[in-house]
Amino acid sequence: MPYVPVVSEMENALVRMQEDLKRALEKLPSERRWVMVIDLTKCVACDACTVSCKAEKKTPPGVNYTVVIKEEVGTYPNVREVYLPRPCMQCDNPPCVDVCPVNATWKNEEGIVVIDYDVCIGCRYCMTACPYGARSFDFGEWYTEETPMIAPYETAPTFEYGEERVRRNRRSPIGNVRKCNFCIERLHEGLLPACINDCLGRARYFGDLNDPDSLVSELLRERYSFRLKEDLGTEPKVFYLS
Amino acid sequence: MKTGKNFPVLYWVVVAVTLALGAVGFYWRLSAGHRMANYGELIVWGLWVATYIFFVGISAGSFVIAALVYVFDIERFRPIAPLALLVSLITLPVGLLNIWVDLGHMERFYELYVRPSLVSIMSVEVWLYTAFLIVLVAIIWLEFFRKAASEEEQRSGRLAVRVLSAIGLVLVILFEGAGGALYGVAAARPAWHGGLFPLLFILSAMVVGTALLAGIYAFFSSERGTERHRQVMVDLGKLMLGLVVMEVLFTFSEYSIAFYGSVPSEIEPLKVILTGPFWYVFWIGQVGLGMVLPIVLLVWSRTREEPLWIGVAGLGVVIATFAMRLNIVIPALALPELEGLINATPSPRITTSYVPSSMEWFVAIGTVGLALALFAIGYSLLPVEPQQEKEVSHG
Amino acid sequence: MDEIKQTPEPQPGVTRRDFLKTSAVVGGTLTITSAVANAFRQVAGLERGMSGAQAASEYPLNKVENIIYSVCLQCHTSCTIKGKVLDGVLVKIDGNPYSPMNMLPHLSYDTPPEEAAQVDARLCPKGQAGVNSLYDPYRITRVLKRAGKRGENRWEVISFDQAINEIVNGGTFADGTRTPGLKEIWAVQDPDLMAELKADAMAVAGGEMSLEDFKAKHADHLDLLIDPDHPDLGPRNNQFVFQAGRIEHGRKEFAKRWLKDAFGSVNWYEHTTICEQSHHIAFQQMTNQYRGEGSWGGGKTHLKPDFANAEMVIFFGTGAFEANFGPTPMSELVTWSLTYRNMKMVVVDPRLSKTAAKAKWWLPVKPGEDAALALAMGRWIVENERYDATFLTNANKAAAVADGEPSWTNATWLVKIEDGKPTRLLRPAEAGLEDVDGFVVSQEGTLAVVDPNDEETPVEGDLFAEGTVNGIHYKTAFQLYAEETMAHSMEEWSDICGIPVRKIEEVAREFTSHGKRAGVDLYRGPVQHTNGYYNGLAIIMLNVLIGNIGWTGGVSKGGGHWHEDGSKSGQPFNIVKGMHPGKLGSFGVPLTREKWHYEKSTLFQKDGYPARRPWFPYTGNVYQEIIPSAQDGYPYPIKALFLHKGTPGYASPAGNPTLAAIADPEVIPLVIADDVVIGETSMYADYLFPDTAIWERWGTPHTTPAMQPKVSKFRQPIIDPLVEKVTVFGQEQPICMEAIMLAIAEKMGLPGYGPNGFGDGMDFRSRQDYFLRMAANLAFGDKEDGSEAVPEADEEEIRIFREARRHLPPAIFDEERWKAIVGDESLWRRVVYLLNRGGRFEDFGDVYRGEKLAHQFKGLFNIFVDNVAAGYHSLTGEHFYGLPTYEPVKDAAGNVLEQDRDAYPFRLFTFKHIYGGQSRTPGNYWAQLGVARENFVLLNQADADRLGLKENDLVKLVSPTNPDGLWLLPNGEARPVVGKIKPIQGIRPGTVAVSWHFGHWAYGASDVVIDGQVVRGDPRRATGLCPNAVMYEDPVLKNVSLTDPIGGSSSFFDTRVNIVRA
Ligand SMILES: Nc1nc2c(c(=O)[nH]1)N[C@H]1C(S)=C(S)[C@@H](COP(=O)(O)OP(=O)(O)OC[C@H]3O[C@@H](n4cnc5c(=O)[nH]c(N)nc54)[C@H](O)[C@@H]3O)O[C@H]1N2
Ligand SMILES: Nc1nc2c(c(=O)[nH]1)N[C@H]1C(S)=C(S)[C@@H](COP(=O)(O)OP(=O)(O)OC[C@H]3O[C@@H](n4cnc5c(=O)[nH]c(N)nc54)[C@H](O)[C@@H]3O)O[C@H]1N2
Ligand code: SF4
Ligand code: SF4
Ligand code: SF4
Ligand code: SF4
Ligand code: SF4
Ligand SMILES: [Mo]
Repeated sequence: MPYVPVVSEMENALVRMQEDLKRALEKLPSERRWVMVIDLTKCVACDACTVSCKAEKKTPPGVNYTVVIKEEVGTYPNVREVYLPRPCMQCDNPPCVDVCPVNATWKNEEGIVVIDYDVCIGCRYCMTACPYGARSFDFGEWYTEETPMIAPYETAPTFEYGEERVRRNRRSPIGNVRKCNFCIERLHEGLLPACINDCLGRARYFGDLNDPDSLVSELLRERYSFRLKEDLGTEPKVFYLS
Repeated sequence: MKTGKNFPVLYWVVVAVTLALGAVGFYWRLSAGHRMANYGELIVWGLWVATYIFFVGISAGSFVIAALVYVFDIERFRPIAPLALLVSLITLPVGLLNIWVDLGHMERFYELYVRPSLVSIMSVEVWLYTAFLIVLVAIIWLEFFRKAASEEEQRSGRLAVRVLSAIGLVLVILFEGAGGALYGVAAARPAWHGGLFPLLFILSAMVVGTALLAGIYAFFSSERGTERHRQVMVDLGKLMLGLVVMEVLFTFSEYSIAFYGSVPSEIEPLKVILTGPFWYVFWIGQVGLGMVLPIVLLVWSRTREEPLWIGVAGLGVVIATFAMRLNIVIPALALPELEGLINATPSPRITTSYVPSSMEWFVAIGTVGLALALFAIGYSLLPVEPQQEKEVSHG
Repeated sequence: MDEIKQTPEPQPGVTRRDFLKTSAVVGGTLTITSAVANAFRQVAGLERGMSGAQAASEYPLNKVENIIYSVCLQCHTSCTIKGKVLDGVLVKIDGNPYSPMNMLPHLSYDTPPEEAAQVDARLCPKGQAGVNSLYDPYRITRVLKRAGKRGENRWEVISFDQAINEIVNGGTFADGTRTPGLKEIWAVQDPDLMAELKADAMAVAGGEMSLEDFKAKHADHLDLLIDPDHPDLGPRNNQFVFQAGRIEHGRKEFAKRWLKDAFGSVNWYEHTTICEQSHHIAFQQMTNQYRGEGSWGGGKTHLKPDFANAEMVIFFGTGAFEANFGPTPMSELVTWSLTYRNMKMVVVDPRLSKTAAKAKWWLPVKPGEDAALALAMGRWIVENERYDATFLTNANKAAAVADGEPSWTNATWLVKIEDGKPTRLLRPAEAGLEDVDGFVVSQEGTLAVVDPNDEETPVEGDLFAEGTVNGIHYKTAFQLYAEETMAHSMEEWSDICGIPVRKIEEVAREFTSHGKRAGVDLYRGPVQHTNGYYNGLAIIMLNVLIGNIGWTGGVSKGGGHWHEDGSKSGQPFNIVKGMHPGKLGSFGVPLTREKWHYEKSTLFQKDGYPARRPWFPYTGNVYQEIIPSAQDGYPYPIKALFLHKGTPGYASPAGNPTLAAIADPEVIPLVIADDVVIGETSMYADYLFPDTAIWERWGTPHTTPAMQPKVSKFRQPIIDPLVEKVTVFGQEQPICMEAIMLAIAEKMGLPGYGPNGFGDGMDFRSRQDYFLRMAANLAFGDKEDGSEAVPEADEEEIRIFREARRHLPPAIFDEERWKAIVGDESLWRRVVYLLNRGGRFEDFGDVYRGEKLAHQFKGLFNIFVDNVAAGYHSLTGEHFYGLPTYEPVKDAAGNVLEQDRDAYPFRLFTFKHIYGGQSRTPGNYWAQLGVARENFVLLNQADADRLGLKENDLVKLVSPTNPDGLWLLPNGEARPVVGKIKPIQGIRPGTVAVSWHFGHWAYGASDVVIDGQVVRGDPRRATGLCPNAVMYEDPVLKNVSLTDPIGGSSSFFDTRVNIVRA
C-alpha cells in the first residue's frame, strides 16, 4: 500500500490531471499519448459518464459514446456485480479506420481516432469493424420528437471537434457514424474529457502516457492494468485497473 | 415485338405493384432519412445490404456465363450469352441502388471517387464495379449495337469482345472475391472473419447467375419447346448441379469447422441461423430451396431433362441465394461485441433481433420491380433473343 | 408491420410552427417572449449571429460569463451545481468545484471564478439530466383550472389573477361545483385574539381551565373555532392545510411564515414520514439532551460515518452509490477509501446493491429484521466485551471531557423496573438521594447522583448493576440493553434475520477491531417499517458501543451550515424568526395529531383510549396521515388543501384511499396545487399553478453529515423561467409557489407582506426580497462582529456576475434592485462574491485534523430513551418502550400483524436507482429513460424457476389489502400493478423488489385535454410499474398505510405479496 495522504493533504485528481494536460499541450501533438485509465475497483456503475458524454455531445437516442456494462456473476448468496465502462478505445491499430471507403475516419497525430462528419457517407462499415461496439450511427432521431415540443437541449449547438454544430434536418452529424473522440475539443481548451470530470467514483483518469510525471503514467506504473481484447492487436489506449 | 408473348399481363402487374411499393418506400426513405429503418446500432446492416450483394452476385454470375461463351468459346451457352449480358447489366446498378439508399449521406457517394481509400475494400469494390460497368457497356455496345461494316471489322469486334470479356471476367471475380473479403476481414465479427468468404462469394455468384439465367431462359425464351432450348437448359442444369453440390460442400465445411472448433463467438451466429427465430430462412430457404430441391430436380431422371423443372430448380436457387445473403449479413451482427453491451443502455436500436421495416421492404421490393421493368424493356429493345439469321449463319 | 414513423422534421420552420402550436396548448407563455423560444430560434439558425452565437472552433462552455452556480434537487441530496448557459439555454450541468459535495478535495473558496470555470466537478447522472427536467416538454407554464371533474384531466387555461381571485373568494366550475374561498377559512385575524385563545385553549386541554369558563370568556369568538367544545383543536384557520412533498429550506420557512404566521393555520406539512422519518427520530431521541425538569430536546436527527477516515463502514438498508445523501457527495469518498485505504465495507440489504457489489460482506437480511441482526451483533459484542467500556462508563459531560470524549451516554444510569419492565429513569429523590434534578448511577453498588451536563465533576458508573432501593427495582441502561440482546440466542437471532451466526460474528468482530475508526450508517431500509424507530435504535446502538461519535473515522454530525435565517446575533436580517409585522401566529392540534400527546387533549378527556386515529407525540410531518385524517374528519374536517411539490397518492404506500379522498370535494372542498407538470396527485387539483423549476428559483438547502466541511449552498435562478410572468404587489415575477403566496397575501391582506412587509423600509413584494436577504445573512456569516464575512467582490467579479446574467430579464435579475434589497454596498459585494460561487464552503483542511473531527457532536447519547418511555400509545394506552428492541410488524392498534405466508409468500421491498429521482424524473430522457427504459419485478432466480417464470414474463403483484393488485384511480381507471419479471441472483429468496421511479400514469405519461385540445402523452414515460398501491393498508384504520407509532414512518417494506401471471 503506497502512502495515503489524508483528504486535506490530498491533491485533487482533477486539478492534477488538468495540470498534466497543460504540460502535454505544450508538446507537439505527435509527442502526446492520450490515454484513459479506468479503475474498475472504483467504478460504481453510476452512468454519470454516460450521461455526461450525452449532455456534452447532445447525442440522440441510441447513440452513446460511452456506456457502462453491468453484469452479475455467481449464484446467491455468492454473487458479485462487475462493471465495465466502455468508451472508444482509441486503438493504436484501429480496425475501424482501414475499412472506411472515403478516409472519413483516421487516427490523428495525437493518436485520437476522429471522424470528419462532412465526409463520412454513413456506410457504417466502420461499425462492423470495431471490436468494441464503440461506434454508433446517428439515425436522426430526437428524444422529444413525439412530445409537444422538441426540447431546446436537443437542438442546442455542440462543439464537437471544435465546430459549432446544430443537429437538424438530415445534416451531419445526422446520417453519420459517431463515436467518442476523447473530447478533443475540450483537451485543446485545457479541459479534461467531460466523462472524466463527472465520474462519481473517480474511476476515470485521463492524461499523457508519454509524460512520466502524469497521473495516468503513475497509475499504470503502480497498478495492474489490462486492456480489452488485447489478442486482437488493436492496442487500445483505454486501460483498466483492477 | 414479341414482348407481349414473353411478358404476360401478370408480369406487368407485378412490375407495377412492386414499383408502386418502391415509390412509397423511396419517398419514406428520402423524407424520413433512416428513421424508419429497423437496422440499428448493433445490426447495422440489414435487408438492403443483403439485397445488394444478392443482385451484385447475380450480375457477376451471369456475366461468367457470357464469358464462357465470349472468352472460352463454350458454344452451347451462346444462345443465352446476350441474355446473360443484359441480366448482368441490369442487376449491378439495381444492386448498387440498394447500397446507395443504405448510405447515411446518399448525396456524398461521389466521395468514393474523390477520396477513395485504397485500403478499404469497400472503395475498391466501388471502383471495381465502376470499371466493370464500363467494360460491360462496351461489350454490349459491341455485341448489340455496332454494325460491323466489314468482315475485318467483325473480326476485330469479336476480338475486342473477347478481350473485354476476359477483363470483365477478372473484374467480376475480383469484386465478388472482394465482396467476400469485405466481410472476411472484419476481425471484429468472428462469424465473418476468415479466408473462406471470398471463395464462397465467387461460387455463390456463379450459382445464382446460372440459376437465374436458367429460370429466365426456361420461362421467358421464345424458343421454348425447341430442341436447342432444351439442350441449353439441360446444360445449364448440369452446370447448376455441379455448382450447387460445391456450395453444399462449402456450407457444410463452414458450419462443421466452426462447430468443431466451438469458439462461442463463431458458433453463436450459426446457432442463431440454425435454430433462431428465423430458422426457416436457413432450413427452408437455403437448404430446402437451394440444395434439396435443385439436387432432386437435377438428379431425378424424370425432371433433369425437363427445361421447366430445371427452370424451377433455378428459381429455387435464386430465392435460396437471397436467403443466404440475409444469413450472411444479419446474424453475424446480432452478436454484441462485448457481453452485456446491449443491456448497458437499452434502446430499441440496440437489439439482437432485426426484422426489416416496411420502408426497407418497400424499397427492396421496389428495386426488384425496377429490375423486372428494366429487364422487360431491355429484353424487348435489345436483340437478346437469338436472331433467326444468326442461327442460320451458324447452322 | 412496424409503425410508420412520422417525420417531425425539426427543421427551423416546421419545428417552430409545431412549437407555437404546442405553446397554445400547454404553455401559451412559451411563445415569443420566452427565453426558450428565442434561444430555440437562435439555435435553429433563424437568428444566427444576432445574439452572439459562438464563433466556430470556440468552446464557450468554460467561459466564466456563461456560468451560474446553483443547486440541484433532482433528488434531495441537493448538490451544488455549475450551470452552463448558451444563448439563454441551460445546456450542461456539472458539479461546482468550490463545493466539497463535488470534489475531493474541493477548490479553496478564494479561487477566482475564472479559474473555477475551468474545472468541472463530478455530478450524478440525474443531476446532469436536470436539463431534461427543466425543458420537459410537458411542463406547465400557465394556470390551469379544472374543466371536468377532479382528476378527469380536462383543463382550461385561466389568468393568474382570476385564479387568485377565485381561490380567495370562491370559484365555480363547469360541472356546477363550487369551491369555498380562503377568505371564509381565515377566521381569526387578530394576533392578540389568537394568543389569548391559544393560552386559554391550552389551559382547557391541560385541565387548568374549564370548558364552561372558556366558552364564557370567548363567547364572541366561539364561531371562529373549529369546535367550541374542543378549543384545543384551534381556530378554523387550521382547516387550510399546506402539504408539501419535497420542499427545501428557504421555501420551507417562506411557506411557514405564510401559512402559520400570517394565515394562522398550524397545518403545515412536508413529506418526511414517507421518506425516512423514523431514522431521524431514532437519532433525535437517542441524542436528545436533558434540559432539566423532565424535559428533553435538541437532538440531532442525522449522523453519518466519516467515510474519508473510517476503516470500516456498515450500511444498513442504504449505500453510498445509489441513493442515500447521496451518490454525488459520497461516492468518491467511499471508493477512495476502499481502494486506497482498504476500508472494509459491509452492506445489510436484501438486495445486492451497487454498494453491496463493492462490499467485503453482503448480508442479505430478511426485510424488516434488521433489529435482530443488530441485536445479535450487540450480543456478541457484549458477551465478548468488545465495547468501549471507558467511553460507556462516563455518565456526564465532565467524565467525558476527562477522557477526551466529545460525547457520553446514559449507559450507567439506573432505570426503574416495574412489573418486570423497564419504565423510567430513576430519579435521585426516588432513590432516597438528594432531591435534585438529575439521575442516578451505581458506583460499585453505591448509588450516586449524576447531572448529565455537569462540566465540573466527572461521574462514572457501573455498566452493570441491579438492585432495589426504596422498594424500587433498578438496573442500568446498559444492562437492560445487554438483556435485550440476550432475548434470543445467536441461533435464534440468526433464524429471525436470515444471516448465518458465523457471518454475524465475523462482522461484529471486524467492527470492533478498529477502535473508533468504524461506523454504521442506516437509512430507509431498516426504518420504513412499523418497528422502524426501534430498528433505528438497535442499529445506532452499534456506534454507541464503540464510542465513535465525533472521532475521526467514526460518526459525525457533519460540518453543518452558516445561518441563512439571520437567527445569529449580528446578522443583517433576522428574516425567519423576526421581521414579521402583524404576525398572526397559530395554535391547535395538527390534523395529523403530531408532536402532541393524546393525553393532553380534550379529545382524550372525551374519548379516552383507544383514540380514533393514532396521535404522534414524538414525530412530525406525518404525511401519509394528512388526507386520510381529513377523510375521517378526525380530529376535524378540513376545507382547503394546498398541495406543493408532492404526490401523496403516488409516492406513499397504499395510496388508493388517498387518491379517492383527494378527488372527493366532500372531503376537501378546495384543492390547489403547484407543480411543474400535471402530476399523479396534482391532477386532482381544482386550480393547478405552474411552479418555477429548481434551476429557475431560489433556495437555501442544507447539507447532510456526509459532508465534514461546513456547507451553505445557495440556489439561484440560472435561466429566465419558462413560466408566465405576473404582477404581484406591483412587481413583475414568474408564477411560482412564492408568487402564489404573495398574491394571496396581497388579495387577503395577510400581515407581513407587500410594502414594509419586513418592517420599515423593507418591502416584501417578491421572492427576491426574501432570498437575497438570506444570501446577505450567509455572506455575513455567523459571527456577531462580522469577522466571518466572505470577501467583497472586486470589479472583475462584479463584471462576471453581471455578464453571466445578461440573458435574464429585469423581472429575474435587476442589479440595482438587488443591491437595494441588500442595502449596503459592501454587503452587496459580499453577496456577489457568494453568488459567484453558489454558496459558501469551508476548506477540507479545516476539518480533518488529528484524532477528532473539527465538527463534533458533543452531548449525551440515550441508551435508555426516557423521553419516549414516558409517552403512551394512543390506541392501546400502553407506555412506549425505552430501549432498542426487537418488535414484529404491528397495526395501528398495536396488534401483531398475522401474515398469510401461504397465499402471499413474498416480502415486497423497493429501492432507488441512481438515475431516478423519486417520482419526478420520468421525463429525463438522458438518464432515467436513457440508462434504463423501464423497471422490473426482481426476484431470485430460484424463486422464478420454482414458479416457472422466465425473464420478461408479465406478472401482477397482489397483496392481502389489494388482492386484485390495482391502482384505483378515481377517474374510474384501474391500472394493474403489472410488470416484467427479471430473475436475478443478487436478491434474497422469498423477497421481491421493485425499483421506484417508474409506472407513471400522469407526468406526461398520458393524454390531457387543455382548452379542448388533446396534448398527447408520451408512452415512454409510462413504462414499468410502481408497487406502492399493493402495500398494506392498515387493517384498523383502513384508509392509510401501516405506520410506526413513534417515528411516524410509513411502512414500505412490510407487505407480503403474491406474484401472479398477468
Ligand atoms: N438516486 C436517488 N438518490 C436519492 C433519492 C432519489 O430519489 N434517487 N432520494 C433521496 C431521498 S429523499 C432519500 S430518503 C434517500 C433514501 O436513500 P436510501 O435509504 O439509501 O434509499 P432507498 O433505496 O429508498 O432505501 C432502501 C434500501 O434499503 C433496502 N431495503 C429494503 N428493505 C429493507 C430492509 O428491511 N432492511 C434492510 N436492511 N434493507 C432494506 C433496499 O434494497 C434499498 O437498497 O435517497 C436520497 N437520494
Ligand atoms: N416505492 C417507493 N416509493 C417511494 C420511495 C421509494 O424508494 N420507493 N421513496 C420515498 C421517499 S424517500 C420520498 S422522499 C418520497 C418522495 O415523494 P414526494 O415528496 O412526493 O416527491 P416526488 O415523488 O418527487 O413528487 C413530487 C411531485 O411534485 C411535483 N413536482 C416535481 N418538481 C416540482 C417542482 O419543481 N415544483 C413543484 N411545485 N412541484 C414539483 C411532481 O408532481 C412530483 O410528482 O417518495 C417516497 N416513495
Ligand atoms: S474502439 Fe473501435 S472505434 Fe474506437 S478506435 Fe478502436 S476500433 Fe475504432
Ligand atoms: S460510416 Fe463514415 S466513417 Fe464509417 S466507414 Fe463509412 S464513411 Fe467511413
Ligand atoms: S472522452 Fe468525451 S467523447 Fe469520449 S466518452 Fe468521454 S465524454 Fe464522451
Ligand atoms: S462515472 Fe465513473 S464511476 Fe460512474 S459508471 Fe462511469 S466510470 Fe464508473
Ligand atoms: S445526487 Fe444527483 S440528483 Fe441528487 S441532488 Fe445530487 S446531483 Fe442532483
Ligand atoms: Mo426521501
